[in-house]
Amino acid sequence: MHIIKISWLYAIIILSVSLQTQANENPAHNTELQALIDTSSQSELWKDTEWLNLLHYQGGPDVTNFLSQVDDPVFFNAKDGKTNPKNELKETLISLYATNTANHNEHAQCRNIARFNWLKQKYPNSFKQTPHIECKQYNEWRKEVPEEKVSLIFPAYHLNSPSSMFGHTLLRIDPAENEQGSTWLSTAVNFGANIQNSDNSIFFAVKGLAGGYSGTFIVAPYYEKIKEYNRQENRDIWEYPLNLTPAETKRIVLHLWELKNIKFDYYFFDENCSYRLLELLQVARPKLKLIQQFGLTAIPIDTVRSIEQADLMTDTIYRPSQTTSINYLLNKLNKSQQELVLKISKDAQLIHTDNFLQYNKQIQHIILDTAYRYLRYQQNDSGRSEPNAKNSYLLLDAINKTDNFSSPKITFTESQRPEKGHLSKRLAVTAGEYNDQSYMQLDFRMSFHSLEDNLEGFLEGAQINIGSLSLRATEDESQLQHLDLIDIFSLTPRNDFFQPLSWRVYTGLEQQLINGRDHLTAHVTGGAGVSYNAWPSSSIYGMFTARLESSSQYTQAIEPAIGISTGLLQHFSLGTAHLELSGEEFYHDEFRHRLKYIQNINLGRNHAIQLSALRQRQTGLYFTEAQISYHYFFH
Amino acid sequence: MKRLVSSTLLLLASSSAFAVAPGGGGCGWGNALFEGQSGPAPHILAVTTNGTSGNNTFGMTTGTNGCNTSGALGYSGKSMLASVMDEFSEDAAKGEGEAMTAVSVAMGVSPEDRAHFAQLTHSNFSSIFPSQDVTADQVYASLQEMMKSDTQLAKYVI
Repeated sequence: MHIIKISWLYAIIILSVSLQTQANENPAHNTELQALIDTSSQSELWKDTEWLNLLHYQGGPDVTNFLSQVDDPVFFNAKDGKTNPKNELKETLISLYATNTANHNEHAQCRNIARFNWLKQKYPNSFKQTPHIECKQYNEWRKEVPEEKVSLIFPAYHLNSPSSMFGHTLLRIDPAENEQGSTWLSTAVNFGANIQNSDNSIFFAVKGLAGGYSGTFIVAPYYEKIKEYNRQENRDIWEYPLNLTPAETKRIVLHLWELKNIKFDYYFFDENCSYRLLELLQVARPKLKLIQQFGLTAIPIDTVRSIEQADLMTDTIYRPSQTTSINYLLNKLNKSQQELVLKISKDAQLIHTDNFLQYNKQIQHIILDTAYRYLRYQQNDSGRSEPNAKNSYLLLDAINKTDNFSSPKITFTESQRPEKGHLSKRLAVTAGEYNDQSYMQLDFRMSFHSLEDNLEGFLEGAQINIGSLSLRATEDESQLQHLDLIDIFSLTPRNDFFQPLSWRVYTGLEQQLINGRDHLTAHVTGGAGVSYNAWPSSSIYGMFTARLESSSQYTQAIEPAIGISTGLLQHFSLGTAHLELSGEEFYHDEFRHRLKYIQNINLGRNHAIQLSALRQRQTGLYFTEAQISYHYFFH
Repeated sequence: MKRLVSSTLLLLASSSAFAVAPGGGGCGWGNALFEGQSGPAPHILAVTTNGTSGNNTFGMTTGTNGCNTSGALGYSGKSMLASVMDEFSEDAAKGEGEAMTAVSVAMGVSPEDRAHFAQLTHSNFSSIFPSQDVTADQVYASLQEMMKSDTQLAKYVI
């Protein structure tokens, strides 16, 4: 009885509210519109996946549980459009019939062109009485944007810029005919945060992570992205043509126009570039279920994998970065030829001397090409330099005057493919012994890759871990062994051509032996130094480190320490070995040092066995730890 | 978690040295060859957002940054050339490449004539690029001259 009463009351409220909006909006007396509102309401069209995708709704299935990811009132027609897909549909219909046509470009038929298009397909016999609107800006824009094919673009990892540590994704829309295989003039579709130049860079990282920025879609020529990633940031680009049909591609293009200057919330870890692209793909092909696979994090390469698993990919194309190309060419030369490349890059006239002419044509071509590329690389981050410009010109001129100039082209191997690498999350079960105490340990890592993990598909010498947790249990007690928030270890080898810094930053909580027993201490540890390729597949490093430690056991709130760390990383075919000797001295005179050896044995893509041994001295006592772990990688 | 991670990343971001390059200026038509990269997005601005700064456009602005910011604009051979002149000079020296193709497309050269355009640019490299100080304006003028005196390409000269 009560229920009936309430629903009557509800109906009356709805009726009066809708009567009111109808009174406000002039076109409501239009019979065709009224019929559309009735039909769509009866068939519950607002529940249609395509509608929900176009408005970026999440939640449901009750009408009260929806929330659109769009954070911009302009995007919606109903006042409560962000939370009410049903009202939004009705108000959209009314807006499409709006007779206020002073500014055609701002009319719903133009602003909401994808929604309009979808509704026209749903009701092909309606929309005969809508006002005639000319979407001039849209039509001009469309002349420039192709609509035939879509590729997923993955600029790979770039450790020295935190936003790029996990890679990045964007879409590229191609015309039917890729001008002789070139995609330079294709359209890149990129989702990123809106930043004002006046923003203080210190607050910038925090805002980006915490959601202080809004994100929008940006459409730009693809060659700008090639220059940005391949040349300026020296990141390899992986391109995956997708099997979207021209009709599906067109849906993305239409929807993009709706998203012009529309703001979304931007969060670095989940609602990021990759997440938004999945939404676009679902607009293109509504039956795809991509975004529901991502909750806490949407790591770009994981979204690439989900697209691969949805059978969307048709091919893989590799665009090596400038440094990848230079290193590839350098590997074709012997030591003295490499030295000559360096000399020529400083004085291009040397190509007319016997130093250069003694070599055969093929080697000469490689030397010319490498020296030229190296000069261009040197200017990636700087403005014009006269000696560089002069030498670059002389080399180009020489290349031009060389008959049948040819330089080897780099191709990728299967083991380089980033989407084939181990999955991002890791679970480990460990059995170990600490002095004479045996223990079991459970480890979980949210993401992403450690130096010792299977290298296939990852950048050599690049460790990025976010959120790892270890719980240890002995016979007597169990404890949180450590909780790492961030752990980044970047080993980039130096040679005659490249002199990068190697560095490390990690922070979190870990057990430390203080006053005779374990105490959970907070710490921030960082280091900077150098690394070298001593021999193939190896890396020797040394760095100075600094550490801040905080524990209730200390008299000072924060205890600082400085130290050194040195190690050897060696990749074998069966796995990776890592030997490290490190030590630090605290301000309160405590001295710690440790020797650690880790041997990883890969068992296929997502499984590994890891052995490790540790000998350490702390507060004057020696400890030995040995453990064996089984690692399982999953998504 | 988000907050904790934020503050840690802040530490990281402020401790590593990110080059803040000045914004790119003008359309680049007066730029000399090998101008180097002076933009477009200062590195620090891309730290956690993958965003770009300033003139966000939603169109195919084939001009370099700061050149055109108002929505859709047609390709023009000249602005395309100014944007990719370094890459184009390399392709001209070598006789082929994607920058070469992109410039020929932007200049309106039909697919069947693009190989010829590339070949001709290659053999005229020294006159199109007489020195490292040549500007995009001059290169464009030379290309127009070259096409004008070629029976196959003359029809593409504006």
